[in-house]
Amino acid sequence: MTKLNISNEPKILILATLAGGYAGADSTGQSHVDYPANTYILPVMCPVMFPPEFFIRAYERGIDGIILMYSGTDSPYKVEAEGTAKLINATYALMKERGIDTRRLRLAAICTVCVKPFLKEVNNMHNLLKGIGFVKSELKSHPAPLQGAKS
Amino acid sequence: MSEKPKIAVYTCYCGGNISHTVKCEQVAKLLAEQPDVVVSRTNMSLCSDAGQSQIEEDIRELGVNRVVIGACAPSLHEQTFRKTVIRAGLNPYLYHHIGLREQDSWVHTCDADGATCKAVRLMAAGVAKARLLDPLEPIQLEAEKRALVIGGGVAGLRAALDIADQGLKVVLVEKTPFLGGRMAQLDTVFPTGEEAHILLADLIDKVVNHDKITIFTQTEVTKVSGYVGNYGIQLTQHSRGVSAENAKALQDACQQMVADEFNYGLTERKVIYQPYHGCYPPLPAVDWEHYNGEPININGKSEILKDEIQQFELSAGAVVVATGFDPYVPREGEYGYSELPQVVTLPQLIRHMALNPGAKSLEWQGHKVRDIVLIHCVGSREIEGIDEPQEDGQVNNYCSRVCCTATLHMIEELRENFPKLNIYDLYQDIRTYGRGHEDYYINALDNGTRFVRYHGEEKPKVFAAPKGDTHPVLVHVTDALTYNQELEIPVDLVVLATGMQPRQIDDLVKMLKVSRGNDRFLLEVHPKLRPVETAVNGVILAGTAQGPMNIQESISAASAAAAKVISLLGSGQVELQPFVAAVDPEKCNGTGACVEACEYEDAIALETFVEDGKEVTRAVVTPANCTGCGACVAVCPNRAIDVQGWTLAQYEAMVDAIAMDIVDLVEAG
Amino acid sequence: MNNVKVDALVIGGGIAGMQAALDLGDQGYQVALVEKEPSIGGKMITLSKVFPTLDCCSCITTPKMSAVAHHPNIQMFTYCEVESVDQQENGFDVSVLQKPRYVNADTCTGCRLCEYACPITVPSSFDRGLGSYRTARVPFSTAVPQIAVLDIENCILCGKCEKVCPVGAIDFTQQPETFSIDTTSIVLATGFELTDLDAKNEYGAGELPNVIDPLMMERFLAPTGPYGRVLRPGDGMEPMTIAYVQCAGSRDETLGIEYCSRTCCMYAIKQSMLISGALPLAEVTIYYMDIRTFGKGYEQFYQNAKAMGVEFVRGKVAKITEDENHNPVVRVERTEEGDVVERTFDLVVLSLGMVAGDPLSKFGLTPAEDGYIKIPSVNASPCETRRPGIFVTGTAGGPMDIVDSIVTASAAASAASAYIRSKTQVGIEEREVAHV
Ligand SMILES: Cc1cc2nc3c(=O)[nH]c(=O)nc-3n(C[C@H](O)[C@H](O)[C@H](O)COP(=O)(O)OP(=O)(O)OC[C@H]3O[C@@H](n4cnc5c(N)ncnc54)[C@H](O)[C@@H]3O)c2cc1C
Ligand SMILES: Cc1cc2nc3c(=O)[nH]c(=O)nc-3n(C[C@H](O)[C@H](O)[C@H](O)COP(=O)(O)OP(=O)(O)OC[C@H]3O[C@@H](n4cnc5c(N)ncnc54)[C@H](O)[C@@H]3O)c2cc1C
Ligand code: SF4
Repeated sequence: MTKLNISNEPKILILATLAGGYAGADSTGQSHVDYPANTYILPVMCPVMFPPEFFIRAYERGIDGIILMYSGTDSPYKVEAEGTAKLINATYALMKERGIDTRRLRLAAICTVCVKPFLKEVNNMHNLLKGIGFVKSELKSHPAPLQGAKS
Repeated sequence: MSEKPKIAVYTCYCGGNISHTVKCEQVAKLLAEQPDVVVSRTNMSLCSDAGQSQIEEDIRELGVNRVVIGACAPSLHEQTFRKTVIRAGLNPYLYHHIGLREQDSWVHTCDADGATCKAVRLMAAGVAKARLLDPLEPIQLEAEKRALVIGGGVAGLRAALDIADQGLKVVLVEKTPFLGGRMAQLDTVFPTGEEAHILLADLIDKVVNHDKITIFTQTEVTKVSGYVGNYGIQLTQHSRGVSAENAKALQDACQQMVADEFNYGLTERKVIYQPYHGCYPPLPAVDWEHYNGEPININGKSEILKDEIQQFELSAGAVVVATGFDPYVPREGEYGYSELPQVVTLPQLIRHMALNPGAKSLEWQGHKVRDIVLIHCVGSREIEGIDEPQEDGQVNNYCSRVCCTATLHMIEELRENFPKLNIYDLYQDIRTYGRGHEDYYINALDNGTRFVRYHGEEKPKVFAAPKGDTHPVLVHVTDALTYNQELEIPVDLVVLATGMQPRQIDDLVKMLKVSRGNDRFLLEVHPKLRPVETAVNGVILAGTAQGPMNIQESISAASAAAAKVISLLGSGQVELQPFVAAVDPEKCNGTGACVEACEYEDAIALETFVEDGKEVTRAVVTPANCTGCGACVAVCPNRAIDVQGWTLAQYEAMVDAIAMDIVDLVEAG
Repeated sequence: MNNVKVDALVIGGGIAGMQAALDLGDQGYQVALVEKEPSIGGKMITLSKVFPTLDCCSCITTPKMSAVAHHPNIQMFTYCEVESVDQQENGFDVSVLQKPRYVNADTCTGCRLCEYACPITVPSSFDRGLGSYRTARVPFSTAVPQIAVLDIENCILCGKCEKVCPVGAIDFTQQPETFSIDTTSIVLATGFELTDLDAKNEYGAGELPNVIDPLMMERFLAPTGPYGRVLRPGDGMEPMTIAYVQCAGSRDETLGIEYCSRTCCMYAIKQSMLISGALPLAEVTIYYMDIRTFGKGYEQFYQNAKAMGVEFVRGKVAKITEDENHNPVVRVERTEEGDVVERTFDLVVLSLGMVAGDPLSKFGLTPAEDGYIKIPSVNASPCETRRPGIFVTGTAGGPMDIVDSIVTASAAASAASAYIRSKTQVGIEEREVAHV
């Protein structure tokens, strides 16, 4: 087996709604445009299902940046726009408490054909992380483990 | 979970699409080392019959009870593989699909190692999720055997008829007071030369007399709720304003005139009107938008017309959207439009010809037309950076498909009626692609039409001629057919072959939650796999609402839409995916946080039971009303509720797998 | 063989026929699908990637083939030809000839041992003669059904296949058999053929080795193709300059084909883009009169190709000859420049047109002037033929691409099902009140 040249780059987790961001990522694929490979897209039905602790847990495990790509007001779920905004605010508060740079979490409205906005979000986060580095360094200064984050 | 997971992992080459970038063999090898993975294979094209058989065989022979596939986007083949898994006797929800093509190999072509690492982590995440999958059963619901068709143009009419012919009920809703849509405004139609209104009358007759079809005119959809199989629809209908008894008298007495949009503003009509002779329904209607509210005198009595708006509620299992197109309206000054009276659109010229049958010569505003120029691609095939964007910032970069043949068909009419007319045709490419279309082009070449080819980057220019010139208008164009010679053509009339745009249906798009493409037309799921279905279950497209088409194509699309509706509703049952909230009775202690968080009616409620002699209160979900948004999941302090198939624990497991170092991953094996 | 009784008979198992069968089956009708080749799939299964999405063609086709094979309401009859269609009171009596496979279809498992044992190689028609296959073979890797067929004309009767077959499926004594299908309606999906490569003397009359047809190029580009790369059939060299000659079999009075074949602009553009991927240094030139990218998303596709560097030259190719190294020389009148130039290429692809696939007489139908089935009322019933109960779909009804073939297939299914229902319908349920 040839050895993989494993790059050690900050990891970006993208939680993308099936009706919005995930389809947008597929459209980007159909347009055959390259973007950084340290991006891991997981489909979600609607982001309101995640409690703020979920994100903190992810950072603790070593995810360096998270983009929530949702459909905003065009969502098939009526709670999505408002609920996600609330969720993000609550998460920002927790991140501050834990000393995590809040720029590591982004909310973006991406629809099914949003190729350019998709690429912009991904590249912005990629460049940001290049600058601010791994989340680990920030977490180190705040050693207190998070309550109830483990399942 | 009782049985121990035995996971099979497949990494598809996708005929090279994936394997050209992702080192699939390596991915498969690394995945084979993951705990619980009993087999990890690659395949040239897993979706082929042989590939599917391999999966079935593994399930049967190796006792595989979880399947993880990395292939093209799940929107393409997730359903295909669910069926495969079912055939082998496994619950279809014990399979997980990862998009390695659209979201990996196609977007990291310059970074094969990065793409491979990404594939490994995503697949490992898939395995982590698969471990936690539970078997699920789809939700079976009664389907209303009635379809709602929105739009009474040729596509809507045809869809309604085909659905009704299969025994389903249809409600056909038309916004204007009359059926027929744009086709009614045409005169004779290509490629047959038949008269549009005769063809339409025939179709309308069948629709109107069909015992399964209910027609609402002057009606719009104002509310949509529910889901496939059971959409709740609210219709709002304006009244006709006249009755069979008083229609004629009122119409005669009516004095208020407005521009007649049926003739694209070439003529005027009364506000109580019928667009054309033989229209359906024949009863005139009041144009409420323009009626000034003044009394109309009949038989000495003066009457003020009142719009009595009515609302209807109905349920429908599926919705067909056939809202059609609007011809592009050129901007003020675009090719002199609306600045020079001698510049018209092709739809206007079609009306002009229809209004003046048998005319000896072509006359425009009282002047004989000796020289006429027709310009193709107006409002179509626009180029970003060269053409001015539309109001919404879009550039109409698509081809409108019908205008070439419509223009050449018009040229044939002009030539037949007015043999002496000098005809110039300014085009980029002649796109007479359909059966019988090329004949119009061949005939035009033979009958003296002068063709001039212009480049999209260098559009023709239309000017008012200096006073005293022989002709009122001058057209400047660089002709690529004669080595880029600069031509100045003096003409009496300029005809703009305007393209198609979708109608203004923002409200409907929002209510139905369907998507539009870059061209603003409604978007299908996939042009080959599901060409007339939208991403919203039970919402189906027919005709030019989806993109430019001619009549024949609109009819085919409408019939195809009907076939989908029949497959969906014919059995009277629809299946919904089981991705709804489920409560873990062990963990739930009835805090009610979920009930508060839920935005949907009757989706979740607290109920009190007696268990072992004790009263317990717990949340109970009604699956048919639950959308699976998961608002309840985030708020439950006990983690007692989850969306089936998308649980929080599964996400956490996936995050762990992604966060893991590949080196760890190798060692973990 | 037993007589088969169905609601609908679909003739032709290309993409159009498969889709029509699936739609009818999904609506609950019993369907028979008859295909003259040993596998369903039609022309589409031989393509590389398909416009406008550039999906891998197998990814669209093979699941449909599989769905047909597994559909509970569809019976598939491959390697069968329709012999006659007789009108009956409530439908048609269709006589079908099962050609001998010389392999027992019930026992063959598709293990391909016969193929590995067979000593005789013949040019592969699947690969348009570019590659080769054995005389005993499974038709191609993704064939449905996966049943071997023995091409008796080239067989030397050595018996090697018979010896290796683990289930004893080889049967040299098989005879053609006729059976009949009793059906209420028929959907014709017999597809298209390319116009002949050797039709025009000006274009070398098929004698120039490095002037090829576009389906050959599809095989060069397909991942399942014979070489897995693009090369010149003349000498196996990698071509660096490639020309497409548009309308090489269409819009041409001298060939008697005056119509536009509707797909050639798009497939030429598609192939150019794929060639740029396969041979990044290759230069592709397309000679055309009009670029007809009229479908949804097609104009963008054309613009993308231009942006990728594909050269579009407007001009009529007057003549193609070759130099001493068999390099094709294209003589073209360029309309923009107003000159006539000659240019040498490594490879030339003639963008051939489409003609109707199958003679219509055995279906009791007559062609229109363009050779395709006459559709009496295209603007009212675009799938209906002159014979009530017989419908047409896909390229059997005129040139069209896959997107349009699939839509017309669903439309034909709809028309056929309405017809079936009208023939078998019982009472009529009560009428709802109309609010006009
Ligand atoms: C200049 C020109 C010439 C043409 N000539 C030919 C020709 O010769 N031959 C040919 O084959 N094709 C021709 N066509 C194309 C032909 O007009 C179309 O294919 C056909 O009319 C499309 O029908 P449709 O039902 O999709 O849309 P439409 O005819 O636009 O019908 C849509 C209907 O939906 C209604 N509607 C819209 N919004 C709503 C709403 N929100 N609620 C309820 N109802 C709504 C509209 O009022 C309308 O009645 C021509 C087109 C143009 C522009
Ligand atoms: C070089 C080339 C590239 C192309 N690329 C694309 C592309 O990228 N995208 C796209 O959309 N389109 C493309 N097309 C067009 C596409 O190939 C056709 O639209 C499509 O294959 C038509 O399918 P069909 O089912 O109508 O016909 P066919 O594929 O011809 O199928 C007809 C079937 O019927 C069978 N048959 C015929 N007669 C009988 C009989 N008497 N009894 C039983 N069976 C019979 C045949 O064996 C065959 O299996 C391309 C075409 C060419 C030539
Ligand atoms: S059909 Fe012809 S006129 Fe219309 S946009 Fe396309 S190329 Fe231009």
